[in-house]
Parts: sequence; structure tokens; C-alpha cells
Amino acid sequence: MSAAGLVELTIDGKKVSVPAGTSVFDAARMNDIAIPTLCHQQNETPVGVCRLCVVDVGARVFTASCVRPVEPGMVVDTSSEKVRRTRSTLVEMLMADHPSPCARQRLSGDCELEALAKQENITQPRYSRRISDRTKDDSSMSIAVDFEACILCDRCIRGCSEIRENFVLGRTGKGTHAGIAFDNNDPMGESSCVSCGECMVSCPTGALTNKGMVKTALGAGPEFEAVTPEELQQLSVFKGVSGTFLRLNRGAIVKRRFKAGQAICREGEYGSTAFYILEGRAQVTISTPMAHVKTSGIRKFIGKLSSSLAQRSRDRREEEADQRWIPIDAPMDLNYDNPVAQLQAGDMFGEMTCMSLYPRSATVRAETDCVMLEMLRNVLDIMQRNKNFRAHLDKSYRQRALDSHLRSVPVFAELTDEFIGSLRQTVELVRYSPGHVICRQGDPADSFYLVRVGFVKVSQTHPGGEMVLAYLSRGDYFGETGLLAGDVRTATCTALDHVELVRIGTEDFNRMMTQFPAVRRKLETVEHDRAEMNRERLSVVQSVPLDSFLAQGLMEAQSLLLLDLNSCTRCDACVRACADAHDGITRLIREGLRFDHYLVATSCRQCLDPLCMVGCPVGSIRRRNSLEVIIEDWCIGCGLCAENCPYGNINLHPFNVIADDPAHPGRKIAMVKQKATSCDLCHDLAEPSCVYACPHDAAHRVDPRKFFANLLGVAPGIAQKP
Amino acid sequence: MRIDKTHRKWLAASLIILGIATAVYIPYAYRSPHGPKGDSAIGLTFGVIGSVFMIFAGLLAGRKKVPVWRLGKAQSWMRGHLWLGLLSLPIILFHAGFRFGGPLTTALLVLAIIVVASGVFGAVLQNYLPKAMTAEVPSETIYEQIGHVRTQLIVEADELVASTESQGTSGDAAPLSNFYRRDMRPFLRSNGKKHELLSYPDRAHSAFEGLRVLVSAEIQEITKRLEQICEEERQLRRQVFLHQWLHAWLLMHVPLSFALLVLGCVHALVAWRY
Repeated sequence: MSAAGLVELTIDGKKVSVPAGTSVFDAARMNDIAIPTLCHQQNETPVGVCRLCVVDVGARVFTASCVRPVEPGMVVDTSSEKVRRTRSTLVEMLMADHPSPCARQRLSGDCELEALAKQENITQPRYSRRISDRTKDDSSMSIAVDFEACILCDRCIRGCSEIRENFVLGRTGKGTHAGIAFDNNDPMGESSCVSCGECMVSCPTGALTNKGMVKTALGAGPEFEAVTPEELQQLSVFKGVSGTFLRLNRGAIVKRRFKAGQAICREGEYGSTAFYILEGRAQVTISTPMAHVKTSGIRKFIGKLSSSLAQRSRDRREEEADQRWIPIDAPMDLNYDNPVAQLQAGDMFGEMTCMSLYPRSATVRAETDCVMLEMLRNVLDIMQRNKNFRAHLDKSYRQRALDSHLRSVPVFAELTDEFIGSLRQTVELVRYSPGHVICRQGDPADSFYLVRVGFVKVSQTHPGGEMVLAYLSRGDYFGETGLLAGDVRTATCTALDHVELVRIGTEDFNRMMTQFPAVRRKLETVEHDRAEMNRERLSVVQSVPLDSFLAQGLMEAQSLLLLDLNSCTRCDACVRACADAHDGITRLIREGLRFDHYLVATSCRQCLDPLCMVGCPVGSIRRRNSLEVIIEDWCIGCGLCAENCPYGNINLHPFNVIADDPAHPGRKIAMVKQKATSCDLCHDLAEPSCVYACPHDAAHRVDPRKFFANLLGVAPGIAQKP
Repeated sequence: MRIDKTHRKWLAASLIILGIATAVYIPYAYRSPHGPKGDSAIGLTFGVIGSVFMIFAGLLAGRKKVPVWRLGKAQSWMRGHLWLGLLSLPIILFHAGFRFGGPLTTALLVLAIIVVASGVFGAVLQNYLPKAMTAEVPSETIYEQIGHVRTQLIVEADELVASTESQGTSGDAAPLSNFYRRDMRPFLRSNGKKHELLSYPDRAHSAFEGLRVLVSAEIQEITKRLEQICEEERQLRRQVFLHQWLHAWLLMHVPLSFALLVLGCVHALVAWRY
């Protein structure tokens, strides 16, 4: 060894000096001698698995140069005939199992293995192809996995662990069944992979490739400013997000500037992006009038019935007395009496719209000049998985929204500030992907959940099958039944879309029950009512034989409008009466399923499993304790419930209102606002207008359980075997 | 409206009223020196009662115009219209003493008979035709949508036939194409006109059976669907026919009823004045 810790050796006849500890591979590289490799990358720990970098150091066997440190006086031959033949055979064997041309070769022409094969003039390997039981994995939104193209170089594993420290990738299997795996061999999209892209960037072949988001263009025009990955990585919330990913998805996130007063998004509009505020303040509000659609006559028995918007003072509804908060797709909820809130730098809004494509839940307008980032779902998905961003959002939620979120649940209105303050640090914010089971029926009850974002399906499994009990959205909660009884879960809760929950552990829950007996009593009452409803629901399912026709959904109804076709003269008096009772817009169509000589008219059925409720961005369509489906007065008229109703029973009702002029802040203009409406059974009148107006005794509103039980000669309430 | 056992009370009441009226009329007619007259006390009473019944029956049209007003169920009004309307004829005959009288009263009586007869005819139709429509037209749609449904059937049939032609098996598809162009398309587009073959289910079935023998196995499903389209068209035609019968009688009944009421007022005015 020479002075200053340098080692002298000979590589391909050239005398070189390199620091002690340098690998032969690096020593050659430092002296412009290229040694081919597939598994070695400069920024990763060498592992010597591919053996392509083998060199002759005069030992009994060739050595992998990437893992062999230099020794004084070593003589290295990197390109002897034997070494070259060895490399060529290795490449040929790897190519035998390689699906040439692989995705990377097709997309960008730079598959490292195929480049080596070309160098070695290998076109048709002599060896037969391995039969693989693993093919492709397309579950990730941004990375395509082709296991057949994987050469087990381990670069992706080291990239994930050493560089990104995400520890998602590993090895699975042995021998010919060996391969890379995500977590416990989960599909990539369902693993804890954060889609940073490091594995894809590390991969030398087409085993991990970008899914073609490269040409994303969020928008064209001067208002969509391009933002470089370097600029993004300066922001604390983007710390940890792969620069490679940001480069590859350059068009999926743009900078937007809004002048004070400019609308950023409007309630009810459909969109696919989320916003992150960099600078400035924005006001979020619901501009649709806070009023019910109410039909009423001029006088009690004489006078045309008309639909109008009725403020709460004119249309008091008992069960709404405690309703103080309107859930929206933002870090906070809106106070019912003053539905205005502020967003500031560091806030994100529009997540539900971006992830689940729901309509915008509120109108956001710039209060001051604002600078925002607008992003597509693939970028938001990565950010939501990023530890730094999640920590930032969690902190913001705990500080600003947890309080109002908890208090928005009427049962928790009496919690003290002190108690909520103590919860602030102990609650956990958890996320679930669509279809994920949050808790299973029969599992031990260990948490109480508040729904923060998304929709949760609550169902029970019975011998006859699965029965949906409820759909929960923001502001709803579940898990108290098992905890109050100290027992197991009584139902299975499943995420219907991208769901975020506030998880309160058993200890905190029990502390809440002990310190606030009033809250406990309210929860027990709610729990008792739910159990009653579920028992009644179950009796519906069991009481009538499940004829295949009835299984078409009629037993899901609580109230059906039936037309006796043997009496009906098709005069349409029912439809005209319904239109007359609702400002010319009928809520009934004389068409639908037939059963014997009855027509099931298209009119709200007050379903036990109300699919209309799923997806409402402001949670305004809900169910009363009597299971009647109602639409609250903060409905923003987006029309999603109308689309979701499988029977076409919900309409949008236009109203002329005087509202803020979106083009000229501070001014008012007349405009048409929509609100969703469905058959309200003419609750202002003694009898539905359609039934009242039928001259031929053909229209009837029936309870299907009793009606079909009578028809089929079965007493309702008696269990029958299907 | 279907006349069923729920009408028993109305029937009973009508029979009682008729019985009482008859019981009053017979001795009155027997004792009248010059025969029963409309301007006698009893005759006038009959006239007023008969007119009230007619006016009530006529008010049904007004009741239907305000379906939401809470003035009694439409069903009750319809039953009243039916029974009181029917009763009004014998009462008016008692008022007229079974005589036609002058031109006005003759016209009135003739009108009354026609209106009541058309009403009875309509009631009979409404009793049977809805049931017939339910049984014979399982593919029934809303009457005003029939044109739209017809258009959709034609478009679907066109596309099905075009798909067989584009498949390239022209030899196999030719019988189907020819049949479609020559017979089926004109039938679908004829807006209800009779077709010698396809208007009749059994002849149509035979025609399609013959077609199935000529076409290949690949387009048997298309042939089957085309046959279903023809059946749907026949059902729509049947629906139009029944619907028109169910409602056409009103074109006579309603205007004549109105004329009856107007002339009735004129008669009352003239009788009172002169």
C-alpha cells in the first residue's frame, strides 16, 4: 500500500491507485474501464447477485468486482476471453426468461438487459423459458409490475429500503419460485407502497415501469403554471416524495394564482382535482339557500299547492334541532347558522372530489390573492401516503377541526374543551381504501370511530346472506355498540370509497363514558334504537317468501306506489295531480316493474337500503329514525343522489333565488338553484295527491310487507323458509 | 271505473232513490187528470232533482281540473257521477211524464238519453278494457311514448340487420336482409297499417320459422330478436287500439254532456219565464 491509504493494483494491464476499501468495480470505473453490471448501482450497497461484473483476479474462481475490495498488487483482467464468455452465457440465460421486448424496452428502449444482449449479439437464447406462476400486477395507480421481466437483481429492494427507507419491497419464495414481493406478498396497490417511484427508477429492466402518466396535462392556458419537481421539493409537505415521480408526473400538479374575489370552485360542480394553499386566504361557503323544499297550499283545502323554499323558522323539524354543522370536503365543517369558514396557507381541500370524484361540496372563493397547487389523484394519493404530508394534515386537523367535528355529532355536544383537548393527541387518523374491511362482525371491539371523509357500509351477516344496515358518512360514527357491551362487533363495516376515520381507543372511550354519563346515556339510547331498527329490518327479510320477483328490490321498500292495471284507465290523473302538487314537476312516472296486475310506479320507495345516500358531498340526504329518507335543506343540488337512485325516483327541482353574483363579488343577481326532491308522500296533506286524485281507485300506497304477505296468503311477521 | 262490490252502497242508495221516485210517480201519474206534467209541483220537483243530479255529474270535469284541492276524493266524485248520472235519466223521464214535448224538450231528452247511454257504454269499456290491456299488452308503455319506442325498435332492427351484412357472410344473411327490407321494415314504419304477414302472430311466426331454416347458426339469435321486435310492434298497435277505445267515447260523451247542461239551463230559464 502506498502512502495516504492508497492501494496500487493493475487492471487490464494498467497500473492504478485507489483508496483502500474501494471495490474492484469502482476502481475500474475511476480509471475509465467499464465493467458491465445489472445488480449494482452507485447509490446502493453492492450485493453481487447478477455476477455480470465478474473479473479474473487470478484466483481459483472469478470474482464479482462490485463486492470485492481491491488488494495491493492485485492483477485484474476484466475482459479476457473466458470472462467474456462467462458474461455472455449469463446474459443468454437471463434473456431466456426475459419477455423480450419488455415494457421498458418498448416504452423507452433502454432495458439494460436487452442492451447487454445486443452487445453480446444474443438474439435467440439456446435455453428454454421458465414457466412462471406470477405474471403481472396492475394494482398500483402509478407503477406496472411484470414479474416475468424481473431478474432478481434486488435493486428495487435496496432502493425502497436504503434510499427511501420505506421497507415495502422484499423477497419471497425459493429457487425458481423466488421473486420480489410487496409487504406480505400483497398486490402493490394494496401494500404500504407510497408510489415514490424509487423502485421503478432503480429497475434495470421492464419489471417495474411507469404507468404512462408522463403526458399528463392538468390544463392548458396561462392560468396553469408549470411547477418543477425542484420547486415542489422545497415545500415541507413534499419532503420525501420522489423527485423521479414528480418529474414523471410533471403535468399532474400545477400552480394556480387567484385574485381576491375569484371563485376557485363552486358547490355542485364535478371535478377531479384537489387544492393545496401555498399563500393567501380563501373563504369556503355554501351559497345554496338554507331552506327546505316545502309544498303548501294557499288555504287549507282550496288553493293551488306550490313548492317553495322554507327557512327553518317556517318549517321546523324536530330531529334537526340539534343539527349545527354541515360536513364538507375541507379541513373543517360549516356552522349551519353561518355556513362560512376560512382556509389558510397549508390547508388542503377537495380531497373527496379528487379521490372519489364526488361533486364539490362547497364554494371556495379567494379572500386575498392566493397561490395554490392543483393536483390530480395520482399526486394526491402519493402525498396522502407520504409521512410528512400526513403529519402536516393530521396536525392541522387536530388543531382546527377535531373540536368542531366531535361537537358536530349531537351525542358529543356536551364534551368539555378540556376533554377534547386531551383527545387531541391520542386520537388516531386512519385511512382505508375502497373495499377494505374496517372491522368485522364478531371481532373484539377495541375502537370507536368517527367518519371524517368518505362512506362506510355497515352490514350484518345472517344465514340468508348479507344485510346492509346503514351507510355512514362524515359526521356519523360507529363502534359504540361493541364497546358499551364490552363484547364483540355486531356488524361489519366496510369502506365504500377512500375513507378517513378518527379512531378513539377503548381507554379514551371508557374515560369519556365515565366522565360524561349524559353522553353515555345518549349513546345507549342510540344503540338501543339501532338494535330495534335492525331487528325490524331482519323481520322484513324473513317474513315473506323471497320470490324471485320480490327479490328485485321490492322488499327493500317501505312504501310502494302500486297501480292496479285492471282498474287503471291510463288517464294520468295521478301524474297530473303530483305535478300540480309540486310546481309542475311530477315526482311520479307511470312506468316500472309489474307484478301480476299491479304496476310498481316510479316513485320514491323509502328504501331500507338507500343507495341514494352514498356519495352526498354534504351529507344532506339522510334517514330519520323512522327510516324515512329525507333531504336536508343544505342540499347543494349536485344531482348525485338522483344518479345513484337505481329507480330514477329523485329529481332536481329548480328555484329562482337572489344570490351572490359569481362574476361580480358583492353584487346579487337572480339565478336558478337546484335542490333534489323526491316523493314526499305529500306530508303536508292527509293523503298523497296521486292516490287522492285517482278517480278509478287504481292508485294505492302500500307497505309491501303487509301487501305482498296478504297477496301470497302469508301472515306478515311469521318466519318462512325461502 | 270498475263496477265491483265496492259499489254496493251506491247501488243500494240509487235503487232506494229510484224506488221512492217510482213510488211517488205512479200514483201521481195515475191521478193527474191530463197526465203528468213537468210544471206540476211533483213534476217540477222531479225536474229539479234530475237537474241537480246532472249538474253534480257535470262537475266531475271541474273536479278533475283541480286534482289537488281537498274537495273529496276523486273516486267518490266518480262514483257519484256514475250513479247519480244514471239516476238522472229516470228522474228526468218522470219530470217529463215520458213525453218529448216541444223541440227544445225533445232535444233535451234525446241528448240525455245519448249522454247516459254513452256514459254506460264508457263504463262498460272501462270495466273490461283495462283488464284486456293488462293481459294482451305485457310490453305496455306510456301512450305518449309509443312513437319514441317505435323509433327505437326501428333503429335496433336496422342495426341488427346491418351487423349481419357486415359480418361478410352475405350468402347466409341475404334471406334475412331481403325479408327485412321487403316486409319487416315497412311493417315497423307503417305507423299501424296492417301487414298481411306480420300483423298476425301466427303468420309472422311461420314466416320467421321459414327464415330460420335459411339463415346460418350465427345469426339465429338476431333472427329471434327481430321476431321479438315484431311482437313488440304488434303489442304497441294493440295498445293504441285499446287506448283509443278506452278514451274515444269521451269525445262524444263530454261535449254532449256540456250541451245537455247548457240546454237544460235554457229550458229552466224559458220554463220559469214563460
